[in-house]
Amino acid sequence: MSRPGQPEKHPESQPKTGHFDSDTIRRGALACLPLLPSTIIFGAVLGVLAAQRGLSLGELLFMSLAVFAGSAQFVSVDLWRETIPSATIIIATAVINMRYILIGASLRPVFRGRPLWVKVTGMHMVADENWAVSMTQKDLANPGFLLGGGMFLGVVWATGNTVGYLLGGGIPDPEVYALDFAFTAVFAALTIGMWKGRVDLLPWIAAAIGSVIGHFTLPGTWSILVGAGAGVVVAALTWREDMDDDSLEAEFAVEGRNAYGAPEGKNSATRATPAVETGK
Amino acid sequence: MTQFPDLTSFSLEAVLTILGMAAVTYGMRLGGLLMADRLPQHGRWAHVLERLPGAVLISVWVPSALSAGAIGIAGAAATVITMALARNLFAAMAVGMVLVGVGRYFISN
Repeated sequence: MSRPGQPEKHPESQPKTGHFDSDTIRRGALACLPLLPSTIIFGAVLGVLAAQRGLSLGELLFMSLAVFAGSAQFVSVDLWRETIPSATIIIATAVINMRYILIGASLRPVFRGRPLWVKVTGMHMVADENWAVSMTQKDLANPGFLLGGGMFLGVVWATGNTVGYLLGGGIPDPEVYALDFAFTAVFAALTIGMWKGRVDLLPWIAAAIGSVIGHFTLPGTWSILVGAGAGVVVAALTWREDMDDDSLEAEFAVEGRNAYGAPEGKNSATRATPAVETGK
Repeated sequence: MTQFPDLTSFSLEAVLTILGMAAVTYGMRLGGLLMADRLPQHGRWAHVLERLPGAVLISVWVPSALSAGAIGIAGAAATVITMALARNLFAAMAVGMVLVGVGRYFISN
């Protein structure tokens, strides 16, 4: 019954939608559908690797659902040996997943006005993909949508793991069908939806330059932290008193609400948001 | 006795390692959100926080497009342009992936 979105006067003080509406969860899952082929193939590749490294299938699935972070799992399974180098694996996981501090922080508008238990339960199934998809949904940005995407990706990921583990090989090389590029493509496309106005320009350029420098000078995923850090510093430096948007709705106003051709792109409801003018 | 892959055994070592991985990851996910909740809702910090998702997202894909070589850069550019014009995630991804797939087939960088 609950139509998601339609933020009325004060969406932040009294969230209109329930915390985890089944309707919204379903929509969140559907929004992650474009990621199905690549997620299942990469899940299968991890399954093959895990079988070679001596994890049991149960351990792998437990990891996939408890940790739920693809790149960290690849590195961890790769480090896995008969005698498990636990400390190395946990430290590597922490370093690779440090971006989740930033991702968690950026989810503030999605969880605004929600009780602590919703945050505690809603923050587990947060991967880069369903985070990015949720952040570009205007009317649907709520914990249920995020969780729906996470549950969908979790099931697909674990299915891929199982298939790869049991086949033990014979998985098509993701590069042949450009499936490895799917993640780059989805993130690049969703960036468009995060554009809020000219205020974004300099921080984004800084993030791009910072991440490229990080990519060439540092190992692994440090480039994400360097790029995001550069963006944050430039955003802080370019802030001026007069660009402050006093409407709390500003954080909700993300362009690209029609990104999926979603039926929820109710223009009447979205036109009211003034955030596009922030750049002035 | 069996060569069949070992499906359901859980060694204590493995479970503890995985729990450690899960704890640090979940801790950072929730910790980031709870920290942001304590930041002011207005002013410089709010402004920075609003720029954060775009900055993170760009930092995720720009290096990976770059490491996919010239075809990766072309594919990312095509994806961004398609998305800006069509505002359709499926279409944007399809254009980028087809370009990269075909490009790799012919150029095999």
